[in-house]
Amino acid sequence: MNSLAAIFRQNRASLLTLLGLVLLPFIAGMFEGASPAAVWVNAAGTSKFIQGLAIEIFILALYALSFDLIFGITGLLSFGHSMFFSVGAYLTGILLKSFGLNLWQTIGVVFLAAIAQAVLFGIVLPRVKGITFALVTLGMASVFHILVMSRELGDYTGADVGLQGVIVPDFISPANERLRFYFVALAVMVLAYLLYQRFVASPTGRVCVAIRENEGRARMLGYNTFSFKFAALLLSSITAAFAGTLHCLYQPIVSPNTASMGFTVTALLIVLLGGVGTLNGALVGALVYRLLDFGLRRYIGESASFINGAIYVAFVLFIPYGIVGTWMLKSFEIKKGWERLVGMVKK
Amino acid sequence: MDYILDVQSIHTFIGQYHILQGVDVQVPRGSITALLGRNGAGKTTTLKSILGLTPPREGKVTFDGRELNGMRSFDIAALGIGFVPEHRAIFRDLSVEENLKIAERRKGDLDRKREMIFSLFPDLKRLIGLPGTSLSGGQQQMLAIARALVPDNRLLLIDEPSEGLAPVIIEHMMDAIRQLSKESTVVLVEQNFLVASQLAETYVIIEEGRSVTSGKMSDLKQDKATIHRYLGAA
Repeated sequence: MNSLAAIFRQNRASLLTLLGLVLLPFIAGMFEGASPAAVWVNAAGTSKFIQGLAIEIFILALYALSFDLIFGITGLLSFGHSMFFSVGAYLTGILLKSFGLNLWQTIGVVFLAAIAQAVLFGIVLPRVKGITFALVTLGMASVFHILVMSRELGDYTGADVGLQGVIVPDFISPANERLRFYFVALAVMVLAYLLYQRFVASPTGRVCVAIRENEGRARMLGYNTFSFKFAALLLSSITAAFAGTLHCLYQPIVSPNTASMGFTVTALLIVLLGGVGTLNGALVGALVYRLLDFGLRRYIGESASFINGAIYVAFVLFIPYGIVGTWMLKSFEIKKGWERLVGMVKK
Repeated sequence: MDYILDVQSIHTFIGQYHILQGVDVQVPRGSITALLGRNGAGKTTTLKSILGLTPPREGKVTFDGRELNGMRSFDIAALGIGFVPEHRAIFRDLSVEENLKIAERRKGDLDRKREMIFSLFPDLKRLIGLPGTSLSGGQQQMLAIARALVPDNRLLLIDEPSEGLAPVIIEHMMDAIRQLSKESTVVLVEQNFLVASQLAETYVIIEEGRSVTSGKMSDLKQDKATIHRYLGAA
């Protein structure tokens, strides 16, 4: 009993956030007078809209989390991360739509594909380092992007239009069972986060952190660093592919943009916003990223991306450790940020 | 003579540069051997060649009867060779405890060695929960050496242990190295001849990528001409 109370005390903030997220659909409903009962049966309204936005954030958070594991924790800069996600998204759609598999079979195949793509990235892993790894992974992801855009595979992928018309099983339909979808996405994100925390705290995870800092030193201690990097890659690939599956189930269309380099940059941005290597920074970053994007688009319109870009530059200059990183260090870099800005302008 | 480590005329290239052009090092089991020589003579490269970090292109490295040529560095380390690199290469993102824990080769290594390590470096006991970033230079060096003691290493390669440390800390570190040499053979790269001459029993002098002379430290101490010629110190 005591230990339970201790667990509660230590994780008060996380548990309260979780409680808030569980209650969010009902609280959002109250603002326009919708009763919890109405929210429960998925009545149209603000609550349903907020749930939709939150689901997108959960999926983005899951994707960014998987990127933080290889980039922030293990120190591998992959520019092919969008492939990890879009393989899951496309495969889910194609298997459901064109091959008539049921959802569980689909998830099984996506799982195997996630392992296969981790192996593919793993093949180049010991041969290239640093920026070369980034470029090789970018190359592999570009091949996949070209494949999904190609007209030859258009019957399956929808080519440049995107994959649409996927029939989502009724019990998790984002239109009629949105509240259930909300809780499934929330649960998947929370479970992945807890699993990642355990992984990073484990001896294997500690070696990953050591590799990020200095791979040579880790090898000198007798570690075959490849296996650790591969373990991180594998976990990351499975998580991202599953985020892709959720994305495909939730969105009416899987856009080829999810396979583009731009979507890898999205993961990088989210992790930078939240704080590199902090894990919970990926979750906070996803929230800020999506809300910024949504808010600016809504109130400013098309020029939003310009302001968005300026905000990211300001972020990198003034809070280089991200939201969570800065919170943990308890120090802003406002003064240094101005110096950096002046330095940039002077050049 | 029983040599735990036998390096026979190795040649090592870094990029296109022919750094080691024939280095021989024989390390008697249970001894402290010092690699001496001027800056840039190839002492550190010799250590790295033994570990396979800069694999030698020619020559032979034998550790306890086993040839190391062609082995990967983490496999070489796993045979029981600990490396304490220069510049106190600890993991700053890990805590002191994690830095020690990560050096385990078998489960429970740290628990078995904890008492021994704390008796050698009592400071570490107090610092155990702190992050690597909050350690002073001397403390980092202690941690780097302590880390090499966690697994059962039969050979310790220590690169420039006294570099940049205050004299009183050097004294303490020398005591520690003497203590740990009772459990393991030590090869030491050391610029500071005073430190090396007090610690080591045998020496090898490396000059411009070649081992030029070797022998007993007690003989070298009398041989002012050799010291002056190769080390520039009296």
